[in-house]
Amino acid sequence: MIGTEVQPTGAVTPAAAKGSKAEGGGGGWRSHLGSLAFLAPGAIWLGAITIYPLIATVRNSLYDASATNFVGLANYKAIFTTATILTTFRNNVIWVVVFPLLVTFVGLVYAVLSERIRWSTAFKTIIFVPIVFSATASALIWRSIFDLDPHIGVVNAAIQTASDWFNPPGLYPVDTSAGQSVARLASTGVAPGPGGNLQSTTSVSAGDTVELGLIGVSPTTLSTLGAQSAIEPSSSQKDITGLVWRDFSPANPSARGVVQSDEVGLPGLQLSLLASDGSTAGTATTDAHGDFRFTNVGGGSFRVQIDPHNFQSGFTGTFWLGTQSLTPTSGLNRTEQALFNVPLVDVAMIIAYLWIWAGFAMVVIGAGLAALDRDVLEAARIDGAGEWATFRRVTMPMLSPVLIVVLVTMLINVLKIFDIIINMAPGSSQEEAQTLAVVMYNSGFSGLGNWGLASAIAVILFILVVPAMVSNLRRIRG
Amino acid sequence: MRHINNVGLIAAGAVVVLAVGACGGSSGNGSSSPATTQIGGSATLWAEWTSTEQQDFLASLAPFESQSGVTINYSGKGNNTDTAIASAVAGGAPPDVALVPDPATVQTLASKGSIKPLDSILGNLTSNYGSAWNQLVTANGKLYGVWFKGANKNTIWYNPAEFNAAGITSPPATWEDLIKDTATLKAAGIAPFSLCTDIGWPMADFWQNVYLKTAGAQAYNALAAHTTKWTDPTVTTAFTTFGQLVGDPTNLAGGLQGSLANNYPECVDKVFPKPGAQPQAAMVFEGDFVTSEITANSSNYTGGTTGAGGAACTTDASKTPCYNFFNFPAPAADSANQGAVQGAGDVAIMLNDTPQSEALIKYLAGPQGASIWAHLGGFASPNNKVPSSSYPDSVTQADAKALVNATGFVFSLDDLQGTWEKNMWQDMLDFLRNPSSSNITAIQARMEQQATTGLGH
Repeated sequence: MIGTEVQPTGAVTPAAAKGSKAEGGGGGWRSHLGSLAFLAPGAIWLGAITIYPLIATVRNSLYDASATNFVGLANYKAIFTTATILTTFRNNVIWVVVFPLLVTFVGLVYAVLSERIRWSTAFKTIIFVPIVFSATASALIWRSIFDLDPHIGVVNAAIQTASDWFNPPGLYPVDTSAGQSVARLASTGVAPGPGGNLQSTTSVSAGDTVELGLIGVSPTTLSTLGAQSAIEPSSSQKDITGLVWRDFSPANPSARGVVQSDEVGLPGLQLSLLASDGSTAGTATTDAHGDFRFTNVGGGSFRVQIDPHNFQSGFTGTFWLGTQSLTPTSGLNRTEQALFNVPLVDVAMIIAYLWIWAGFAMVVIGAGLAALDRDVLEAARIDGAGEWATFRRVTMPMLSPVLIVVLVTMLINVLKIFDIIINMAPGSSQEEAQTLAVVMYNSGFSGLGNWGLASAIAVILFILVVPAMVSNLRRIRG
Repeated sequence: MRHINNVGLIAAGAVVVLAVGACGGSSGNGSSSPATTQIGGSATLWAEWTSTEQQDFLASLAPFESQSGVTINYSGKGNNTDTAIASAVAGGAPPDVALVPDPATVQTLASKGSIKPLDSILGNLTSNYGSAWNQLVTANGKLYGVWFKGANKNTIWYNPAEFNAAGITSPPATWEDLIKDTATLKAAGIAPFSLCTDIGWPMADFWQNVYLKTAGAQAYNALAAHTTKWTDPTVTTAFTTFGQLVGDPTNLAGGLQGSLANNYPECVDKVFPKPGAQPQAAMVFEGDFVTSEITANSSNYTGGTTGAGGAACTTDASKTPCYNFFNFPAPAADSANQGAVQGAGDVAIMLNDTPQSEALIKYLAGPQGASIWAHLGGFASPNNKVPSSSYPDSVTQADAKALVNATGFVFSLDDLQGTWEKNMWQDMLDFLRNPSSSNITAIQARMEQQATTGLGH
């Protein structure tokens, strides 16, 4: 073999020629027998778990729900004419259009950032670590983060804290987003007024006593505020005294209007005394028994007002995982809505999935950035290009192959998005949030077993993925 | 050899003596079950129960095994029981006895001749069940099944402490009373209902109960079979009646938004919370399986209107919280439907006629097995010979009584709708989002179309 190196390249051919000519005849397949023997197990396995199911699925898509009667293209027709499937396609479009672009952009920002900061290793680790989470784990975590209840959901808790700083809630919050209203609290001697307040129905003057009864106040609020039994106040010559009490008696639930022995006062209510011209002549607060007093009111007639900010509920939570549409589609019919709604839950789920994959994009793009030819950037700088111009006209075009790899990989990834939706969207949002893979699972595997429809969806999903896969393969082959 | 023969004879004699002794001993226990003689042999038994329920079921079969000497080979099939039995019958190797979770399977198998009629085997044991129950498993005038386990989905669960705080001394007996009680609860500042929405099945269960109580069991079955159209006025009445409750967001804890965020079982936790949380509503609707969620939240929960040791019920789950239910009320005008119950159940059928399977069927028709499982909890039987004392508390006793005395028993309508069941659930959520009468008309038209496509007729 010593002489092999100095031999011209033609020296390789005699051995190959010898192998193919040795058995004579045309094919020479026996020489490949060894290779075939090694390939066979893998090929059989591949055939069994990939090729055969592929063919079986295509065949099933042309049959009915139990895969026994031939129905031709009926399943495909059903897919394109059912409103719920149109919703599904729309969701897939939202994911495919928004997610790869978003994750590439965020990855690029992170990659560029991590080059500039000193503690870049720590930064990169923090951004990359979420990739260890399965989509299911991320869905459960983010579902908790986006929870409607501000006591559970971090996002709503943060907004509530900020909102309460500017608009502190009152002691008797009335949740208007849940359909409640201040007007429904009025029971005896009060009526709703403008601006969400309650005003006494009769006018009072110095020396009068007035009793105002409210209902719809929860026992929990009362015990927190330390409400005591309602005491009817005594009158005082120059003052206006009164009582604001909870006009509900558990012993006598339908009785209204009179202070019963087991009824309690409403403490901490802030009241204003309104003169006949509308101006505020005084303020008072009710005590633990619900009593209040406006001192030295002077002449004239007044009305007692329970101020609206007592009933301020503050921020009670946004339903981030709900089906509220970001696009103004309320006037459209069902089919149009199916196509043009962008439900809020999709945004929440995209964020949850982005959290997992941003690190991946950052790492791949970061590697691409590191491999950039520094001389070209230097040249650009010498030529007088600014930071942004350099980035836009030099860095980005040089990075574009890497960016496209990330984009296409994420596109294939997101076409089959499934576990995030199943685990994160609450039951009532499932139909508005579902994607093709979810519908395929629900049709085939969860109880009903409509194999024809599930197979047809699988075939469509396959057809959609093929171009992206082919382009990626071409890219890898170079 | 002779030595061994003698030993063998003595051993055989000892076995016979012991067997007779065991027979005599155990026949004293089940006073109302028919005396079983030692048959020996074995029988294959399939049912849906696995894990804890399987253990409880096998415990209830233990006396049968020792009384009759029959070895039971049990296999739990989970949610696929119907499919498993259908495949086994088609394959020619069915189990001897099986318990199936829906009467439609019984009817199908009876029409194919795959199961045996039981009238002659049971004799007067058929009187252990009300006519509403026997009717469900009768085909061509012959009885094909015995009911073993029943579940009641006609239950509205309430927190007695919240009812007391609102001065409601007795639960509502009619639908109008229920509406009045929701108004009283609101005046007391307590949210009346925690509405379970999830993917729509609790809403469907709720609506089905309203339909059952307004239109009656016969109309319900006609609608389930789609001989009544979904555009029928009785369907509209059910929607508008349902809307009286759920159409007003002030009746629901958290309003519409809060309700849509409610998966099952979070909605139950809002009425029966874990220690440290306050209840957010007074009532929640779902079937009797709710009790397992309640007791899982805290072992302090007691069934009934008083807490542990007779103490007053509190809303504090770390002290003496209680839970109770009332039967789903019918409108006063439809009081004839008050006894109609919607629920579920497991019925025993015989696929192979052997002495062992006949003995097993007779045992399952008797109260002994059911009483054992009743003691263990999480079980109710429609068998009227099962004594009330078998049940661990007043809540399960009342639950079982509702099953036994049902004047009509219907199975869950949505489970009979096949491929359009999920669409039906979505339509219910659609109704909740917009309970106006124009939307009701649109939804009814859509449901009719979905039913025709989904059921094929």
